[in-house]
Amino acid sequence: MVVDITDVTPFLEWLPVALLQWLLVVLLAGAAVLLLSWVFAAFRYGPLAAIRLCVHVIREAFVDLIHLSPRRILALAWLAVKESIRRRVVVVFAVFILVLLFAGWFLDPGSIDPAKLYLNFVLTATAYLLVLLSLLLSSLSLPADIKNRTLYTVVTKPVRAGEVVLGRIVGFSAIISLLLVIMGVVSYFFVVRGLNHTHVLSTENLRPLEGVVAGQPAGLFGRTSRVHRHRHKVFLDPAGRGRVEMEQGHWHELLGDWAEVLKKALASEKAEYTFGPPQGLLLARVPVYGKLEFHDRSGQPTEKGVSVGDEWTYRSYIEGGTLAAAIWTFQGITPERFPTGLPIEMTLGVFRTYKGEIEKGVPGSLALRNPQTGKKVEVRIFESKEFVIDVQHIPRTITTADGEKLDLFKDLVSDDGRVEVWLQCAAPAQYFGVAQPDLYLRARDASFIWNFIKGYFGIWLQTLLVIGLGVCFSTFLSGPVAMLATLGTLLGGLFHDFMFRLATGQTYGGGPFESIIRILTQQNMVSEMEPGLRTTVAQTLDQAASVGLWLLAAILPEFGRFSFAGFVADGFNVPGDTVLTYTCRAFAFLIPVFFAGYLCLKNREVAGQ
Amino acid sequence: MQSEVIIETRNLTKVYRDFWGRQKVRALKALDLEVRRGEIFGLLGPNGSGKTTTLKLILGLLFPTAGQALVFGRDATDVSKNERIGYLPEESYLYRFLNAEETLDFYGRLFNMPRAVRRQRVADLIEMVGLEWAKRRQLREYSKGMTRRIGLAQALINDPELILLDEPTTGLDPIGTREMKDLIIKLRNQGKTILMCSHLLADVQDVCDRIAILYQGELKEMGRVDSLLKVRGVTEIRATGLTPLVEEEIKQVIERNNGHVLSIGNPTTTLEELFLKIIRESEEHPGRRVRGVAEQN
Repeated sequence: MVVDITDVTPFLEWLPVALLQWLLVVLLAGAAVLLLSWVFAAFRYGPLAAIRLCVHVIREAFVDLIHLSPRRILALAWLAVKESIRRRVVVVFAVFILVLLFAGWFLDPGSIDPAKLYLNFVLTATAYLLVLLSLLLSSLSLPADIKNRTLYTVVTKPVRAGEVVLGRIVGFSAIISLLLVIMGVVSYFFVVRGLNHTHVLSTENLRPLEGVVAGQPAGLFGRTSRVHRHRHKVFLDPAGRGRVEMEQGHWHELLGDWAEVLKKALASEKAEYTFGPPQGLLLARVPVYGKLEFHDRSGQPTEKGVSVGDEWTYRSYIEGGTLAAAIWTFQGITPERFPTGLPIEMTLGVFRTYKGEIEKGVPGSLALRNPQTGKKVEVRIFESKEFVIDVQHIPRTITTADGEKLDLFKDLVSDDGRVEVWLQCAAPAQYFGVAQPDLYLRARDASFIWNFIKGYFGIWLQTLLVIGLGVCFSTFLSGPVAMLATLGTLLGGLFHDFMFRLATGQTYGGGPFESIIRILTQQNMVSEMEPGLRTTVAQTLDQAASVGLWLLAAILPEFGRFSFAGFVADGFNVPGDTVLTYTCRAFAFLIPVFFAGYLCLKNREVAGQ
Repeated sequence: MQSEVIIETRNLTKVYRDFWGRQKVRALKALDLEVRRGEIFGLLGPNGSGKTTTLKLILGLLFPTAGQALVFGRDATDVSKNERIGYLPEESYLYRFLNAEETLDFYGRLFNMPRAVRRQRVADLIEMVGLEWAKRRQLREYSKGMTRRIGLAQALINDPELILLDEPTTGLDPIGTREMKDLIIKLRNQGKTILMCSHLLADVQDVCDRIAILYQGELKEMGRVDSLLKVRGVTEIRATGLTPLVEEEIKQVIERNNGHVLSIGNPTTTLEELFLKIIRESEEHPGRRVRGVAEQN
């Protein structure tokens, strides 16, 4: 799944609109529940008595909410913590440690992107274990209390149903938070330790570079020792400045003096030098995204690029050797923000219509254009690198093919700080595939540790949702059923987007009823349905079902979106706005869930059979 | 003047239904009763007669099918009434992973009691129920009697005005039973109102001021224990120091006055009295077999 990271609305812009929408949904849902309750009560007690009953319940709810006592909630939370400890939650931590101990067997630090592998692993393992634990704790606790009748001694004290629900949510969240912190710290050290390595450079391995500069060799070139299935290329210029090439997303700094290395290498003296720990492996890039537009093969603006028949329509393609181009327009480009030039990073998809030289990348070019003056300059010719991030740094002073020297900010950036980056594919009949986030400017790097914490915060939000749902369902369902209901809601939340598309008729093959007919009659998804009663009935039913689906999709939490693991593992900073937005979303979901739990517990007979 | 009514039930009815709403059991049928301040009221009846259901309805653990239960003049489902109530359930449904101190402290917090007050109250109650020696042990290690005692302590944590006891002597040995009964009377003497339900007739007879007898969910009898138990038309004379000759003379006097002697002899004690006396004697003289206690009575 690709999370659209370019679509980050500033939190303060998002909040008022979202708040209004939330209030509307909550009011509508509340009204629907009230109406249903009235209908149900009217059947049993008569319409007038039902109104009185509804008014009584609303009044009671207000009184109960006003009288919520923090001391009682904390007492019940403390009980939930004690109960969790008694249920041996520590076992989960032991399992986690055990998993980490054996992780070395299958995590390869020599893979193409080891940081992503390690980070994905720890974040996923933590999330799975804690979500499962939250599910078990929250959905089994209250039914067990009701079954053992321990709840009798609690609800016969001046405890309000809301406090019982909230106490449990707070208590279980507290224990999960504690576990999360411990697991986070352990994970951090596991990742750092697992990726840590060093290389050795022997002067014997340094060879002169071809060419001569002022009677001296142009420099030295060599390779470090092989660790974690890779070596780094090392370049040393005649002035004694050394450079280590990036491999597997990192480089190392020499623990020593490059000039001394050069001296000893030139004197054919044997010596070994060690490098420091890997640099640039654990990152939190802060990307600046541009707005993507396309030009077709004749150079005319077009909405989308070419479809190469991929089922996954995430990327759009531009044809090589033509005027087709992908153009990103960036805003706010100032010398203060980018003092050394434009650090462009890109990940391209490549579609080859012929094999060509498979070892080599497909050639392409990057050009900058000033949208104000229309001046366009080709700044890079490159070979595509697939599956890795290709870094292209555009300096402040650019020399054109004609030898003209241009200043990046004066000549190529408009007065209002806009610049266009043009990507074109140079090889005829080959294609570059791009999506909006595939090319960005790396403005700066945020703190990795802080980003790592944000990743764990996302897991915390997920566990919070599970706990809220689990406790809510357990107020009126038995333990195992409450667990299944919670799990069902979460799975439904994972398919949120699909349900929404299904409800709004954006999917092929119609709604659930039409799909059943298609499956039974072995029709494909795009063929026209045969007109007739059967089709009419199915499509009418689908229309009715789509309302339910739409409502369900609107209510269910988009569980997967609360995970920031993708950002952290890919080395991107989780935007603060995203964190704030999803924190608000989690609480916006929890408030009605808490209220539903409260109403269910308040209106059930605790000692009922 | 009659004292204030603490509990009042009006036409209180409870029908248990199955999932489909079909009637399963009619547990309580139109119960009307009043419990007044400062009395010990006993609900008496065999198993399944509706005693516990009545108690649960009064506590708000169940909702009435018809009628109403009022406690301190408020509806039984009103949570705020619980501020003034103490409840000891049939089994002591407590959290077995807590120890005695933690248990009482937890329930104290539910009454929003400040820490200092709570601490003092917990210490006093643990001393009152005689569990100081086991206050740090988890309740899972407690015997039934000990659990019952800590259950009672939690019912008294808020110094309640009204105490509801469901089978308070269940699971207690004779000494514990006696202590419980003494405590119930002591609480009444402190001005508290007590509603207890039991199927142990002796317990009810010993402590209750008024009783209601329930059978199959219906109220069969209600009134003061002493007046309900009074056997009209029979006179009992108890005296000491009479010789068989004097006994014979009394018998003749009764017959002369057209009375009918039912029996003359030595009264028997209750088994409870006998047992307690033996235990007391044994504690005073360890190792000696206690003989003839009954004869001494």
